[in-house]
Amino acid sequence: MVTYLIKRLFQMIPVVIGISVIVFFLLHMIPGDPAMVLLGQDASQSEIERLRNLMGLNEPLYVQLFTFLKNVATGDLGHSIFQNESVFSLIAKHLPATLELAVVAMLIALVIAIPLGILSAVKQFSWVDYISMFFAQLGVSIPVFWMGMLLIIGLSVNLNWFPSFGRGEPLTEALWTAITTGNIYDLVQSMRSLFLPALTLGVMSAALITRMVRSTMLEVLKEDYVRTAEAKGVSGFMVIVKHAFRNALIPVITIVGLQFGNLLGGAIVTETVFAWPGIGRLVITAISQRDFPVVQGSVFIIAFLFALTNLIVDILYAVVNPKIQQR
Amino acid sequence: MNVNLLRTAARSKAVLIGGIIVLAVVLAAILAPLLSTHDPYEMNVKERLLDPLEGGHLLGTDQFGRDLYTRILYGAQVSLEVGIVSVSLALVIGVTLGLISGYYGGWIDTVIMRFVDIVLSFPVLLLAIAFVAALGPGIENVIIALALVYWTSYARLVRATVLSIKEEEYVQAARTIGSSDFRIIVYNILPNCLAPIIVVATLGLGQAIVAEATLSFLGLGIQPPESSWGWTLAFGMKFLQDAPHLSIYPGVAIMLTVLGFNLLGDGIRDLTDTKLKQK
Amino acid sequence: MKKKGFCALLSVAFLVSAALTGCSYKAPESSSSGGTQQQATTEGQPAQTGTADELKIGLDVDAGTMDPRLSRDTTAARVTDVVFDGLIRLSDKLEAQPALAEKWENPDPTTWVFTLRKGVTFHDGSPFTAEDVKFTYDSLLDPNFKAPYAKLYAPISKVEVVDEQTVKFTLKQPYAPLLSYLDLGIVPKSLAEKDPQAFSSNPVGTGPYKMVKWDKNSKISFEANEQYWGGPAKTKKLTYFIIPDNSTRVSALEAGDVDLVHSPLSPQDIAKIKSNSKFTVKETEGLGYTYLNYNTTNPILSDVKVRQALAHLVDKKLISDSLYAGMDKPGQSPLIPPSWAYDPSITGYSYDPVEAKALFEEAGWKDSNNDGILDKDGKKLTLTLSTHTEDPNRMQTVEFLQNEFTKAGVDAKVSTTEWPTFSANMMAQKFDIALLGWLSLVDPDRAMYGQFQSQSENNYGKYNNPKVDELLDKGRASLDQAERARVYQEVAKIVTDEVAYDVVLYQGYVAMYANNLTGFKEHPKGSLYNLKDVEVKK
Repeated sequence: MVTYLIKRLFQMIPVVIGISVIVFFLLHMIPGDPAMVLLGQDASQSEIERLRNLMGLNEPLYVQLFTFLKNVATGDLGHSIFQNESVFSLIAKHLPATLELAVVAMLIALVIAIPLGILSAVKQFSWVDYISMFFAQLGVSIPVFWMGMLLIIGLSVNLNWFPSFGRGEPLTEALWTAITTGNIYDLVQSMRSLFLPALTLGVMSAALITRMVRSTMLEVLKEDYVRTAEAKGVSGFMVIVKHAFRNALIPVITIVGLQFGNLLGGAIVTETVFAWPGIGRLVITAISQRDFPVVQGSVFIIAFLFALTNLIVDILYAVVNPKIQQR
Repeated sequence: MNVNLLRTAARSKAVLIGGIIVLAVVLAAILAPLLSTHDPYEMNVKERLLDPLEGGHLLGTDQFGRDLYTRILYGAQVSLEVGIVSVSLALVIGVTLGLISGYYGGWIDTVIMRFVDIVLSFPVLLLAIAFVAALGPGIENVIIALALVYWTSYARLVRATVLSIKEEEYVQAARTIGSSDFRIIVYNILPNCLAPIIVVATLGLGQAIVAEATLSFLGLGIQPPESSWGWTLAFGMKFLQDAPHLSIYPGVAIMLTVLGFNLLGDGIRDLTDTKLKQK
Repeated sequence: MKKKGFCALLSVAFLVSAALTGCSYKAPESSSSGGTQQQATTEGQPAQTGTADELKIGLDVDAGTMDPRLSRDTTAARVTDVVFDGLIRLSDKLEAQPALAEKWENPDPTTWVFTLRKGVTFHDGSPFTAEDVKFTYDSLLDPNFKAPYAKLYAPISKVEVVDEQTVKFTLKQPYAPLLSYLDLGIVPKSLAEKDPQAFSSNPVGTGPYKMVKWDKNSKISFEANEQYWGGPAKTKKLTYFIIPDNSTRVSALEAGDVDLVHSPLSPQDIAKIKSNSKFTVKETEGLGYTYLNYNTTNPILSDVKVRQALAHLVDKKLISDSLYAGMDKPGQSPLIPPSWAYDPSITGYSYDPVEAKALFEEAGWKDSNNDGILDKDGKKLTLTLSTHTEDPNRMQTVEFLQNEFTKAGVDAKVSTTEWPTFSANMMAQKFDIALLGWLSLVDPDRAMYGQFQSQSENNYGKYNNPKVDELLDKGRASLDQAERARVYQEVAKIVTDEVAYDVVLYQGYVAMYANNLTGFKEHPKGSLYNLKDVEVKK
């Protein structure tokens, strides 16, 4: 297991560097550069050229790439061109918001998907099954940003149940305030701001997980040991929870892990719709300003997290299903 | 495809419903000039943002007073084009590399699969954004970007299938009678990869249509006056409160079409799975 | 068994609710009620008297920096509006009014002497002196400081401290526009010199509000400066919320999550709020215009007749009325209505497709092969209209014009890209006709010199007219406003007749706020300094 882990960790390195290199070249292919954006509409060509030299943008591309990789290796992600701040501290400010969003989105997805999946498997071909399968199909077909907009119009603007944008206090801090002072105002506000974006982000995962839970449950329910348990007179509810669901958990963990990775990417759109101050918006803004260090640094971190999530999924998978370990 | 398979297909509700939706969308795209009520490009700004059924417009008008129903019919052409061409391109790249990788193995397999790992190690959407930004706007570039992002799943799938059938008797037999690698790949191996490819490609069509809409939403879509559903929807959202029809109908069109492709893909998968089990 | 499970669930729910009732639910002192809590007052309960202690403003982008010398985006400007004071402040007629400088004089055309206000302190308590003024302008002019607008101040040759209360500016040549640019915020030398990096995110100025906390991409919080020399701000707390999407921002206003939103806004949202009696909409003429830039290096567009024909195809009134819902008004010349140089008699070409056709024919463009597209010597009249994707109204305008041009037989294409790509193309003359705009035109020299002077590197369209060059230099040198007005009017007339520019719209500024907000005064520069006089009734 340990050697497997080490091997996997080492495999992550070329992948993360590879994606950084690809993005680096793509970024420098985009017309327009930060010097131009920085100096604005009044600037002349010669002023821009001077700033370009100053910023090292006239160095050959491979030199710039090498500098970037060298700095990353020493733990330095560079400095934002537009936001007088180090890339590391910018990421440190934006990443928690995205993680919070993704985690809660996943929780919402699970809360919807597991009962729905179990129910439709147990009552296969009933109206419950048809309705939940219909919603599962709908959930993967609906454009995320469109659903977000409909939710804002329906639930925030017309009904005023939720704020239409932004983030409250960080959830962990709000929770701490609630525990230490007993005042749950911040917590409620944070949760209200979080609900719509998390729901929007979580719907597609909910749909996929529902289908996964249903199909694995269907298979498990046909297995002998479930039938034996039933024959022994164990009640339906206990059979489902104790025997069937536990065995159906393995493929579910895999898809949850994969979906979590996708949530990090999907957050870009959700964050744009809901003005959520996460890393997706940081990258989008940075691309549109040609803030090269921020884009490169964030991409590096996102790729790293993505790879790490996949690794954790594999480990979990191996833990739940010992057969894998021999691989 | 034989009659039997078609009959089984028709019995699967998913395939039936999905097939009908997809067929309807394809027909709408092809027959757009016949089915439409107006010129898709003719502007009449004085009649902008009319509600459905107002002024003889079935679904109302857009921000330039163009007939929305007509625009959606023509939009089907663009959205399907984006979906079909980008998936085909992705298939060409992915299947070719997957076949090579699986059939030859060795270092070439390692190189290709490492590259696939790299591309898959990153949020698809973010990569597509970077590609479109680098290539510039326009429908061709959106298609290329989507193809460059989505080919990896086909490559992985094909490679896995090839690995599982490479050692089968009929492939070995073809090899012993001296068939060329190319012949073996094309005549013996490729046909056996088709079923899973069709499933994933069908699902991929829906994915590509949504991806195009999302890129449009982020301002990286196609160029006017051409209009995909994604573009109409993304721009329509700027008028969400006065003219919700502008974003609702194209959104419904996208949703239905993607639903159609998904049902079809899932249905085909179920069918081919049971066929496999019967073997 | 099923029942048992349900009972268990119920009891858990009970326990949780019991635990919760033990908790309190109240807004902390620092944050006033947001969103739904405000409903209470509108639902017939006795309204609480008094005013809210927090003013919430919705803005479109986050600030890049809070250092006034480096500010380049609107939010940075709006932060520095309230945190800093300049030597002068522009009135709503764009005239310079005393701020940190009490008075000023010109002993000769290249010398400006400013007498500073006494007893002013920065937010950290340190006194404001002439040294700070010198430091602000010296650093601004240092090329290594990379100040985006340094160019506007380039004619300053030196800034000297005469005594604690007096500063002298010496210019290389007479430069009349300078005074209008001296509203730049003055930074405290002691802090800004030591650590410019830290200063740009922890600004300390002399203005009516102190910056307290900056949550990147989320919100910026301020607190009133009780020691403000112009009297303390009416509302104790001010918060700028960053909500990039125009419609979401307006939704936030409707939902009561913010008290005021300001341009950029989408026309349809303005129309919607106008029809809602709970809100007030204030429109002002802004300091910008939206225009079509013609690339005169393009062989087709180098012909003035072709440019004039195209100008006849632009229905400015229709664009203004429908696409902009009247928010921006039809434009005429590069002189904007709020400017002292504005002359309503200078007008562009009217919408007239018949006249356009005649002009195309005069220039030799006819549809000789009946394919619906004009041609000349076997070549099609192909032109690309471009703009940037950040502004949906401009994208609509370009799509609309593409349709108009096509109807007139021009093979028109559209290219929309993000701003950096777009401006890179403009710089490299890689465009035919581009739709873009200018902002903050406090002085007519601002856009005109850069854009029409033949040697200027920002002359995107490479327009070249020796007469215009001569006039532009004259306008810079004179300190007589009436004479300068005449000069710029002449320039405006020439460039409008020759269609170097076709000014399509004069930009309007719009502020929208709930009726319980009082004291807001709009400013043509879009400045939010006046927020200091704003109160929100509870």
